Amino acid sequence: MPFQGLFKWLMGFFRGRKAFSLGIYGNVNTGKSTLANRVSMDWTGEAMSKVSEIPHETREVIKKERVSIKVDGKELTINLLDMPGIATKVDYHEFVDYGMSKGDAQQRAKEATKGIIEAIKWLEHVDIALVVMDACLDPYTQVNITILGNLEARNIPVIIVANKIDKKSAKPERIRAAFPQHSVVEISALKGDNVNKLYEEIVKRAR
Amino acid sequence: MAIQFEFISSDTVMGKSSEEKINIIMKSVRKDKILVLEEPLTPAEEKLLIMKTMTAITRDFPGIEVCSLGNTVDDLKSRVIKFLGGKTSGLTVVGPSNLVHQVKRDPNKLRFVAGK
Ligand SMILES: Nc1nc2c(ncn2[C@@H]2O[C@H](COP(=O)(O)OP(=O)(O)OP(=O)(O)O)[C@@H](O)[C@H]2O)c(=O)[nH]1
Ligand SMILES: [Mg+2]
Repeated sequence: MPFQGLFKWLMGFFRGRKAFSLGIYGNVNTGKSTLANRVSMDWTGEAMSKVSEIPHETREVIKKERVSIKVDGKELTINLLDMPGIATKVDYHEFVDYGMSKGDAQQRAKEATKGIIEAIKWLEHVDIALVVMDACLDPYTQVNITILGNLEARNIPVIIVANKIDKKSAKPERIRAAFPQHSVVEISALKGDNVNKLYEEIVKRAR
Repeated sequence: MAIQFEFISSDTVMGKSSEEKINIIMKSVRKDKILVLEEPLTPAEEKLLIMKTMTAITRDFPGIEVCSLGNTVDDLKSRVIKFLGGKTSGLTVVGPSNLVHQVKRDPNKLRFVAGK
């Protein structure tokens, strides 16, 4: 198929000039922003996102452009996209339980719903997706399945990140068992354990 | 309070666009019904359902719980099967989250806790 070859070459040519966009997806609170900060810190020396134990901390897509990652002499330039955590419900009462005023909680809920829509709209425009899961929790959530299903349907390369492995109750093997068709990298975004393995996987996949 | 279930057969949604299907679901969920769809939603439809839900959320309606089982990949094979009038296996359950508190699943089983 000569045309396919030409097409691939052209794509490669344009890719060479354009940075890859890497979307960080997942359920709420899984550590996406902690990971985004870790990657950003490692390669640019600056953090990019706010982290909180209160769910829906990220309520708009946070971008860090042209981050250069080097692995084994190979360099890859990516646009990092820290996505709002995706959920099928947003209950403001949950924020009140964290000590927020009713007004603030309702405002946060409103922003969270907008952020979720924005994150979903981006799904088909990323070049690679990291799907971050909290290794202490049941990985078989509808949000994970919906995110993965949409990425698979569009042939977007996926790396599953089993995060929070520094915690005693972490069971990353559950994630591997739930999604055997994908590669899973076990990390602690907080402590930095195993993130080098993740960089290797990203560079491997970005071609 | 009594919990109402509604069963939507494949025939009911046959020939309907994704948009129309999601509207049917949202209408029932807003009436505090738990829906069981014989034909599971595709990932693209699930995505649409979440977006529609986000625009519908208010103080009194915090969102939904949804669970799809089985063949949800909208691949060519399942599209051909559907086109020929056949059914792909699986199902989707959707309910308002203030009624359906928890959905637990594993590859072939689904369990949910409902009540007010
Ligand atoms: N123990 C441990 N805690 C972590 C790790 N990564 C994140 N956390 C904690 O998990 C909580 C949520 O972290 P975030 O990075 O804000 O999570 P997020 O996925 O961006 O959350 P949203 O933006 O709200 O969806 C914070 O309290 C983090 O400190 C980890 O590797 N280990
Ligand atoms: Mg975040």
